[in-house]
Amino acid sequence: MPWISEEKLNRLQEKFSFIKILDNPQAPVIEVPKENLIDFLKFLKEDPDYQFKMFIDWTVIDHGKKADPRFQGVLILMSPKSWERVIIKVWATDERLPSLITLWKGAKWAEREAWDMFGIKFDGHDNLVRMFLWETYPYHPLRKDFPVRGYEEVELPSLNETERFDQLEGTMNYSRKHTALPTLEDLEITQKARMPNKKSQMVLNWGPLHPGTHGTIWFLFDMEGEYIKDCDIIIGQLHRGVEKLAENLNVQQIIPYTDRMDYIAAINENHSVCIAAEKLLGIHEKIPEKAKYIRTMMAELSRINSHLLWLGTYALDLGALTMFLYTFREREKLMDIFEGITGARFTINYFRVGGVYADLPYGALDAIEHFIKDLPQRINEYETLLTRNRIWLKRNVDVCIIPEKDVYQYGLTGAVARASGVPYDLRKIDKYDAYGEVEFDIPVGEKGDSYDRYLVRMEEMRQSIRIVEQCIAKLRKFSKNDPFFYEPEDRRMKITIDGRGTKLKKGEVYAGADNPRGELGVYIYMPKDGIKPYRFRLRSGAFYNLQVFTKAIIGRPLADAITLLSTIDPVVGETDR
Amino acid sequence: MGIKKVGLNRNIKPQSLAEKVFFLDFMKGLKTTIKHLFRKVITVDFPYEVVEPAPRFRGVHGLRNVDGTEKNDFNAWVKKLKIKPPEKGETRCIACKFCQAACPVPEIFVIKAEKLDVPKDHPHHGLKVLTQFDMDLGKCMFCGLCTLACPTICIIHTDIYDISTYTRRGWILNKEQLSQIADDFIARRGKEKYDEKSEWPDYQKIWNDADTARAKAWDNNPPQFGPNYADQN
Repeated sequence: MPWISEEKLNRLQEKFSFIKILDNPQAPVIEVPKENLIDFLKFLKEDPDYQFKMFIDWTVIDHGKKADPRFQGVLILMSPKSWERVIIKVWATDERLPSLITLWKGAKWAEREAWDMFGIKFDGHDNLVRMFLWETYPYHPLRKDFPVRGYEEVELPSLNETERFDQLEGTMNYSRKHTALPTLEDLEITQKARMPNKKSQMVLNWGPLHPGTHGTIWFLFDMEGEYIKDCDIIIGQLHRGVEKLAENLNVQQIIPYTDRMDYIAAINENHSVCIAAEKLLGIHEKIPEKAKYIRTMMAELSRINSHLLWLGTYALDLGALTMFLYTFREREKLMDIFEGITGARFTINYFRVGGVYADLPYGALDAIEHFIKDLPQRINEYETLLTRNRIWLKRNVDVCIIPEKDVYQYGLTGAVARASGVPYDLRKIDKYDAYGEVEFDIPVGEKGDSYDRYLVRMEEMRQSIRIVEQCIAKLRKFSKNDPFFYEPEDRRMKITIDGRGTKLKKGEVYAGADNPRGELGVYIYMPKDGIKPYRFRLRSGAFYNLQVFTKAIIGRPLADAITLLSTIDPVVGETDR
Repeated sequence: MGIKKVGLNRNIKPQSLAEKVFFLDFMKGLKTTIKHLFRKVITVDFPYEVVEPAPRFRGVHGLRNVDGTEKNDFNAWVKKLKIKPPEKGETRCIACKFCQAACPVPEIFVIKAEKLDVPKDHPHHGLKVLTQFDMDLGKCMFCGLCTLACPTICIIHTDIYDISTYTRRGWILNKEQLSQIADDFIARRGKEKYDEKSEWPDYQKIWNDADTARAKAWDNNPPQFGPNYADQN
């Protein structure tokens, strides 16, 4: 388990008398007073023995209206030296916390999100505006006193279209009232607040509904001629409050909601939630072997699916339409496989906390084998079309370089981190499910330009094929009667496939899976045993990866924005949650 | 850790002079695309050609009726919930509301069971019968948790995916409509999906391999199905 070692913790305790090490069986947690936070973090970041210099997540817990102090900050850091994690907690007295942007630039968006969702002010933040919602929105929705349905205060008759007046009566009718919506004036205020000082000639708006943005992202470019001098991104058009919804559901019911986050790789999103909940319950090692291999295989197929879509749309954006048609042909087969095994083509909901919901149907492994046998040749075809094509090289080589230190500063994960030379891969570090037992390599780039990100993802597809082949060989040896779902020996523990009565344990845990779009980490905080998670934080890889866009694009011409966005490959469902 | 280094000059050679001068990179690319020009068409011509959904496909819901393929504990459940023992052709629903409890959006369901208005000496005195079962599919995300929760395999997913209507009213299905959908589905494809005890059998296929439209989408070269595991036949 990659958590900070006991010995290092003890040395920290000796050196700093003010820190408190909390008793938590799932992960070591350090509590630091607010006044000493910055000094303590500086030590952790810079001391050669510790080097916790990689930013993972920075969020807030609301302990309810009666608690004093009410809010608590939670910081998760990673050490690239030993691949160990640590959780640091700090109480936010007077609803204020010190800003960490001097230590990690990635904290900028994290703090804006915490301000948006909880109303915590960060001292020292340079432009503390909202992240997802518009500037004039009066509430902070993740506070515990905010109702799940929101405050329904605007009348919206257009949403209640009926053929012959309101024929619907009773409970199934739709309310005419709707929660607050931004007007055009609100959006204008928001846009001005995001970029308060225009530096150059003009501000160009790109999006939110532009095909090149792959979703609803709204870019603001401050431009000097063709070159971008300053950039900010307005996201939140697809914000649905998955974290808030999750606080009112049991853990198996959360999984279908995560399908709708990164809808391109729904299986991997489900995987993250399953792993985090299993680690909290302490049953991750006891999951039946068969379920582990099925999950590993499906997750890798989903990665191939996601990368195929990425490749098709990326090439399409750079002007190569053919690639889009070729990759979608392969995706169609993969979707057929998903449909047959899980029952859905897109929003899968196949994994469960404790295994999978059903065994493989007849012929599933043959279909996958048939697909996998064909795929390497297809990938070679794609590479002949693109990799050494002169237009492709001109548009990608040395474009928007992301250096290694930015990976730590911004908390970049996934293919973006690996292309910059950091072999950060949770499949190797955490070895969740069957990843410890299969062989594969981590592709690592050199420069961190767009071309490296392209090559890393192409190689990842080949490595995924290797993993799937090994999983199939292993699955063939199982019996049809082997279990695919965990049956707890402990009678007090209850885990069901349909989710009714599934209970979570007291404690807190951070765990995640390496998704096609970076690490989707799940932080679950439970002050006592219960069905509903008290705080369910989704650390979105795409969200933090998108943040580096605002830096890497500076000084580049506008045409490179397309290349950079495609190679970062965010999905708005996941950035906005 | 196994690390594979990639990059220009690492595993990719830069373009040579000959390649640059004679446009060999374009030639190679064109070779691939021209090869594809002479391949068979793989486009499925929807709606004239329709791919049959897989047996496990999670489409519009249905409510199954009693047809002699109930699970062994069906009568025990009926007794436990004090439901009038259903005859053949009546719904299997025992109004336990497990589907509603498992659902992430419980307001989809409106389920009501009422006591029968019969004299005291009637054998069905004090027993209940399902009177209302409405589902609002406009709020449904087809996650399948309700079907897993159902103890009598009454609520099922069918292979219908086309549910567009002109108003939201059209998405609200009542008991009779749901029963009709399930009856049609079971008559059509029940044997493929369920065994004689309404469980998913291990001969349930990943999809129907006789489907020509799907074979077309698989490059006219669909996979041949065999057993997954060593002891499966």
